[in-house]
Amino acid sequence: MSVKSYLKPQSVTDALIMAKTHANYLYFAGGTDIQVYLKQQLIKPDHIIDLSDIGELQNIASNDENISIGSMTTLDAISKNNSIYKDFPLIVEAAQSIGTPVIRKTATVGGNILVNNRCNFYNQSFGWRQAIGSCLRDVGDLCQVTKTSGKCFSRNVSDLAAALFCLDAKVIISNQNEGLELSIVDLYNQDGIDFHKHLDHDGILTKIILPIDAGSTWFKKLRIRNTLDFSSLTIAAKVYDNRNFRIGLNGVSMSPVLITGNLDMIDLEGIKSLARKSCKTVDNDMMPLKYRREMIDVYLDQWWVSIQK
Amino acid sequence: MSGPIGKRTPYIEAVQKVTGQAQFAEDFHFSNMLYVKFLRSPHTHAKIQNINLSKAKKLAGVCAISIGRDLPIPFGVLPISPDETAMAVNKVRYIGEIVAAVAAESEKIAHEACSLIEVDYEPIRDFLEPDDSLIDCSPDEQIHSHSKNGTNVHKVAELYFNDPKKAIQNSDISCTRTFKFAGVTHGFTEPHATVAQWNDDETLKVITATQVPHYLQKYLSKVLEIPLHKIRVIKPVVGGGFGGKSDPFPHEIITSYLSIKTHRPVKCVFTREEVFISNHGRHPTKMTLSVGADKQGKITGLDTDIVIDGGSYGSFGVVTSYYNGVLLQGPYRINEFGFTTTRTYTNKPQCGAMRGHGAVNPRYAMEVIIDELSHSLKMDPCDFREKNFLPANTLTVGQLRITSNGVLDCLKAVREKSAWDERYGNMPDGRGLGIACGFFISGSALPINWNRYPQTVVHTKLDFDGRVVIFSGASDIGQGSDTMLVQITAEELGITMDRVQVEVADTKLTPVDLGSYSSRVTFMVGNAAKSSSIKLRDELIKTISKEKNIKPESIQFENNRIFTEDKSLNMSWDEGVEICLAGRGSIVTMGYYISPQLGGKFKGSGAGLSPSYSFGAFISEVSVDKKTGAVKVEKVWGAHDCGKALNPLAVEGQIEGSIHMGLGQAISEELVYENGQFLNSNFIDYKIPSTLDTPDMDVTIIESDDKEGPYGAKEAGEGPIHPVLPAIGNAIFDAVRVRMYELPITPDKVLRAIKEKI
Repeated sequence: MSVKSYLKPQSVTDALIMAKTHANYLYFAGGTDIQVYLKQQLIKPDHIIDLSDIGELQNIASNDENISIGSMTTLDAISKNNSIYKDFPLIVEAAQSIGTPVIRKTATVGGNILVNNRCNFYNQSFGWRQAIGSCLRDVGDLCQVTKTSGKCFSRNVSDLAAALFCLDAKVIISNQNEGLELSIVDLYNQDGIDFHKHLDHDGILTKIILPIDAGSTWFKKLRIRNTLDFSSLTIAAKVYDNRNFRIGLNGVSMSPVLITGNLDMIDLEGIKSLARKSCKTVDNDMMPLKYRREMIDVYLDQWWVSIQK
Repeated sequence: MSGPIGKRTPYIEAVQKVTGQAQFAEDFHFSNMLYVKFLRSPHTHAKIQNINLSKAKKLAGVCAISIGRDLPIPFGVLPISPDETAMAVNKVRYIGEIVAAVAAESEKIAHEACSLIEVDYEPIRDFLEPDDSLIDCSPDEQIHSHSKNGTNVHKVAELYFNDPKKAIQNSDISCTRTFKFAGVTHGFTEPHATVAQWNDDETLKVITATQVPHYLQKYLSKVLEIPLHKIRVIKPVVGGGFGGKSDPFPHEIITSYLSIKTHRPVKCVFTREEVFISNHGRHPTKMTLSVGADKQGKITGLDTDIVIDGGSYGSFGVVTSYYNGVLLQGPYRINEFGFTTTRTYTNKPQCGAMRGHGAVNPRYAMEVIIDELSHSLKMDPCDFREKNFLPANTLTVGQLRITSNGVLDCLKAVREKSAWDERYGNMPDGRGLGIACGFFISGSALPINWNRYPQTVVHTKLDFDGRVVIFSGASDIGQGSDTMLVQITAEELGITMDRVQVEVADTKLTPVDLGSYSSRVTFMVGNAAKSSSIKLRDELIKTISKEKNIKPESIQFENNRIFTEDKSLNMSWDEGVEICLAGRGSIVTMGYYISPQLGGKFKGSGAGLSPSYSFGAFISEVSVDKKTGAVKVEKVWGAHDCGKALNPLAVEGQIEGSIHMGLGQAISEELVYENGQFLNSNFIDYKIPSTLDTPDMDVTIIESDDKEGPYGAKEAGEGPIHPVLPAIGNAIFDAVRVRMYELPITPDKVLRAIKEKI
């Protein structure tokens, strides 16, 4: 790793100026994941722009209609915020499923939402990748997972994204233009290499806005250990007004997957079928592919049982 | 005992460790120091055609580069299997093997220089699965030319006593099953690290994270061609070993060589990935085990065929091969007994010794089959085991000498504490209990390198300041042997532990100890320390009795005082020291340990011989989610016979650590290979259980008072792991009625087994 400068802007405006004047930069949030990428030479920025001193990105504010969470709020902080705990227990549950208590002291909401996609064959050291020879996302034209050259299926593993999908969250992005507000769903591409959208023009995810409304939520994460592990499958679900539902799935496709509908219009088998079709799951996780696919059905069964109560 | 023996005693270095003051190998810094990085092979099996160092040599800050032909002398921890060189010579045998090493002014420069080294390889057919290695191949394709019969077999170890096949065939019932075990690795916290310093007087000092300073000294001497007396190996504080630091390692030899070459101190610290690549962990294993029994539940015979995947080099593999079989001779009486273990070379990182060496996987198989036999006979699995236990003071069929044996007490303890009799077989669907037993050596009775010396020597020095210093080569790697030495010495001299200090594991200052492996330290070094302390006490008694005209046998030592019962003598320790040292100054006493002559006269009879054996019985309680296959180990009751707990706190820690480590191999840990390299060489993807995955533990220490152990003590560091895994496997059967024959028992496998049963 050979970084020429490590910059610590005090405001979003400063950060955008730095981004404009430093080619090949990297925005750095909590850094718990991205440091591994640096060490493994998966990314080679010339400049690091560390956002941790920007106070405006660490605010949590609420009114009667919504809560806004600064993107640099740590996962630990949102877990301990009374407003979030009261109105969005799903967010707390999702946040507490990420990393470990120590990691959550540093890892941020924005960092998790924009966590890089993962693949067993990509998230390896330089020497390992050299030995394996080719990876669509790295070098060469052959995917080691599918043994084809068509498409990268690296998977999104943001647990918060699954929760935010079903809460219909909005995100605010500042950039060199006017900035923009969009649904979190529009932040993601179904693409294992180019997996985020709308972050061009030096875009910085600054806020997440959660509309406060009633509904019952459900969350489950598949992993071998009860802590630390990245998701092998995350399902977050919400049932609200007149039996409408939103289900966010992640860890099983190149982007988080959203399934919406009304429980009077579709049955469990229909929802499962939609989930299976929407998820482009391949064998790129430590858990076997067949099992992860099976668990989509099993978890949806469990969610279904929970809403019958 | 009036001193610290038998009392819960925190480790003497505990405060240093938790406050960050303890010095690990990486913490040693010297002025003018260089740093080493390695160029590693990207091929599983390839001839090295050419190495071009010209670009790397030109990089500013590069001080020395070495390649395989600089250090061509082969070595290996076992003298019968010296098949490794410090770096690849002529060909590479696994991805990650060291091809070249650069010493430079910084790690960064060394790393960059490695990337500038150009190597031309000619790939050779690789052998990634043991089954492939069993088949004939051309000499050019062999991983090692010394493999017999044109295969890639490293070792075939077999022993047969009587006719087990026939006995099983003629049994009332029998059970034959095939088991598969994934490779696992040690997962110690501190990565490998070495600092080497070549001195002006042409002596070499090596500070390194090792379990075996003495063996390292020996192989440094051999490969570097330097006399033993010019080499000093120092083991600083070590952050865990579990067998993974019990070989002499290439990086230790290369770092030393580069220090000699540059006349500067040189440091090497592995990344976590390099630790994984270095491996030396438990062998991936496939075994078919047959056990017969009569209608009364007596075991009639055992026969097993085992193939272990050794990776590219030998390491402890010959011993592992024997241990896979011979350590099935207990804790049950089996008179018709036989095994064949085949260790294959494959083009993967080498396997070696790991906690519970060689016997963990077969123990799982044995205990699961016993469970099956019990069920076939409609007999309680605890009762079945009880019927078959070896007694104390007996010989096994292969002439392992059993002395003390507390296995029955172990079983009774966990049976009662877990309320086994009320709950086993009566728990709700998805919840179950499982029992398993085990035994293990308290040190190998034979040294690795045959010689006429004792297996360990301890010196005890008393000086005018009243301080007692113990000099021992014993390597404390976190198991508490330094504390044990202090406890024993304080006990024998009747002084408080603060008056006793240790100088350990420094081949210049301390007498030889063979190392921390095979659970030998408490038994062997403990005996030597006790003997040495007694000699020192006798010296004190002799001089004090003479000066004070008191009968020697009436003098007692306790609480820093030297006295007689009638108080005609009542002096402080310091006063006694002054009398003892008057006119001659400090004194040094010596104690040693040599194992008794043990074993039979047949080939392979030395394998598994130990002056004593530990025993244990564990019960696990699990819950199984039948929809997902997820297993949660709720509680483990463990009872271990360690002879005498010199430090119950340390023994409890060892048992708890064994439960945690056994849990990992049982349900989550697995080295996953992808074309010969590990897919999961990091602590995210290699799944060591977290605190949240670790069950409640109930630990019982059984003290069977071994007649030859120090104060009756036996081992406690490795034996407790053996029953943990099968107790979990058997509990899963009780919970959901499926037998798990493949480890780790991940949710997908459990779910598949449940579905297949339906």
